Amino acid sequence: MKKKLLSVSLAAVMALSMTACGSTAVEAPAETPAATTEAAAETTAATEAAGDAADYEECEISFDWWGGDSRHEATLAAIEAFQAKYPGITVKYNYGAWTDYETARALEFQSKTAADVNQINFNWIGDYDADGSVFLDLNTVSDTLDLSQWGDEYLDMMKDVNGGLAAVPVSMTGRIFYWDKTTFDEAGIEIPKSLADLRAAGKTFAEKLGDDYYPLALGPYDRMIMATLYLQSKLDQPIIADGTFNYTEEQLKDGLDFIQSLEDDHVIPSLETIDGDAADSFDVNEKFISGKYAGILEWDSAPKKYVSALGDARELVVGEEFTDFGGKSTGVFYKVSMAMAISTTCEHPKEAAMLINYLLNDPEGVAIMATERGIPQSEIAVKTLSDADALDPLILEAHNKVMDSAAFALDPKFEDSGLKSTDNGVYKDAFDGISYGDYTTEEAAGILFDAFTEVCQ
Amino acid sequence: MNKTLKRNMGLLFITPWLIGFCVFKLYPFASSLFYSFTDYNLFKGLHEFGIMNYVETLTKPANQKALIVTFKYAFMTVPLKLIAALFIAYILNFKIKGVNFFRTAYYIPSILGGSVAISVLWRALFKDGGLIQTGCALIGITAPNFMSDPNWALFIICLLRVWQFGSSMVIFLAALKGVPQDLYEAASIDGAGKWKQFFSITVPLITPVIFYNLVTQLCQAFQEFNGPYIITKGGPRNSTTLISLLIYNNAFRTYDMGLASAMAWVLFVVLMFFTVIAFWSQKHWVYYSDEEGK
Repeated sequence: MKKKLLSVSLAAVMALSMTACGSTAVEAPAETPAATTEAAAETTAATEAAGDAADYEECEISFDWWGGDSRHEATLAAIEAFQAKYPGITVKYNYGAWTDYETARALEFQSKTAADVNQINFNWIGDYDADGSVFLDLNTVSDTLDLSQWGDEYLDMMKDVNGGLAAVPVSMTGRIFYWDKTTFDEAGIEIPKSLADLRAAGKTFAEKLGDDYYPLALGPYDRMIMATLYLQSKLDQPIIADGTFNYTEEQLKDGLDFIQSLEDDHVIPSLETIDGDAADSFDVNEKFISGKYAGILEWDSAPKKYVSALGDARELVVGEEFTDFGGKSTGVFYKVSMAMAISTTCEHPKEAAMLINYLLNDPEGVAIMATERGIPQSEIAVKTLSDADALDPLILEAHNKVMDSAAFALDPKFEDSGLKSTDNGVYKDAFDGISYGDYTTEEAAGILFDAFTEVCQ
Repeated sequence: MNKTLKRNMGLLFITPWLIGFCVFKLYPFASSLFYSFTDYNLFKGLHEFGIMNYVETLTKPANQKALIVTFKYAFMTVPLKLIAALFIAYILNFKIKGVNFFRTAYYIPSILGGSVAISVLWRALFKDGGLIQTGCALIGITAPNFMSDPNWALFIICLLRVWQFGSSMVIFLAALKGVPQDLYEAASIDGAGKWKQFFSITVPLITPVIFYNLVTQLCQAFQEFNGPYIITKGGPRNSTTLISLLIYNNAFRTYDMGLASAMAWVLFVVLMFFTVIAFWSQKHWVYYSDEEGK
């Protein structure tokens, strides 16, 4: 008997361990709790979506997205409401964090096994849909997906090589400073409104708070963006436009010298210091959470995870875009933060389009999603959230400041995976190299110049 | 049952395995060799044939550095792990109180493998201001910045694998149980101490197991991926970028399958070389108790 019991136990443990070996991403058909159905029914009564269609097929569609916990929760609630509104359509979902998300999706795009509906990054159209065969031309489902909610200039950014509409933009975004006001208060100074203020803050922090306090923290990619803001402002032209790299090696060196001067002036910690923190990102970095890193340069759509990391004890505020880089403009750029696309392998494109329309244009879905994917670009979505006073004030303030000062659109080639990769990308190599003392800024500028030239060929 | 069927019955039984072998082993093996001589990129296609990937693998400084780091890793980890495993197995072979608890406790790290939990634990231990630095500071020692110092980062990756010596330990323990007790008794009568007994009786008699552990650990070390991937991501400054991590980065970050395949084949050849050396060397130091002796 004992042996039997042991065998059964061992078998159960083996079965469990086999389960544990599976994918960590969540993948399960969603259910429809009654409570959500009732809530959805109330919201549906308010306004009918433009893409609402009575003659849909009962089917199962799949949907992949990346994000943080709050986005996952909102999207799951929206899916439940969608299924309640359109009985018979089941949405099978798969979500995860950004880390390694792109790698997994890229392989799915290549092997034609991607989900029906995909949240995509704006450079994926050029990178993974080079021949226009991966993402469906959304003009073919325009009777279901209300494309009139987007301006032509934004839809044009989503076109593939064949001129088809590969995706619809969910929101636009750009980088802006967020400051931990509590730390600045502790140092007895105002939050920086200019580069001069920021440099002065570096000195004050070291004197009043200690050498381990910095007014701003920048990782390798953040440094590339900061250098780009500086150079775009100074040179008054975008770093890449229409796939052409616009700068010389000398100009790149100037940008790198600028970043290095921030490190030398105790404005930003060295990358060696940041590596020593052993944190994947600033929102989980103990020094950011405790106020030792008192500023970040982040996407306007991303402050919530930092607010949540700081908790109630510290106050995160939106800063100003700097106007004293030495040029005519702020150098600020905007880009499509993310987009929604349908795979060409999707067997139910109409129903997939209904889901996108529900999430982006249907007031009911929009109300549930709120600003979880940034300030929406769809006109009806903005109106719905504005009327309901549901636009997150911090995100709205950041977004308005970015869009008001944005001088250039960011070219997708800037985010080429070979340049941007956090593990072995050229940005990381160049800025790590300078910060660790392996490269001079001249050598790093040469590396960056060669890489940009190759990507833009 | 006709004769042909009877004659081929064995083949029929192993057909499922053969299909699996051909589809999941032989085909990838052969196709990676083919791709290693091409510039195949997952999203840009195949345009060129030649040995350019092998030239790049062996001449590009970053790749050379990865090969050197892999050698360092393997030659630090394997001996340390074998010594730790044998030492603990030797102790756990004595009749001491609670020995089963200790055997289980020492084996547990092996089953944890490379997981997120281990990554969190290791980072908490070795980050700046982490448990190790704090502990060292308490006794007046200034510990290095393990996570950000390129000279020390590889050490913590090695330590992770050495810490997971449980599986080798169990194999050593089984071998130690097989050493005849009468040899120890005879040696004791002759006045041999514990160390003398260990080096003159135990070690020679378990050399086949030491050899087995050496080869398997060598193969494992050269293919190590999880440790640097979950803890340091290959940094700082590529000081923990082992060749397997570079293969992954080339294959799945930049999609250069041709280059990644060539690197995998270089790794295979290196591994094969050391395995052949190990097998060749066994006639000099491994004792088999069959009719041939050695």
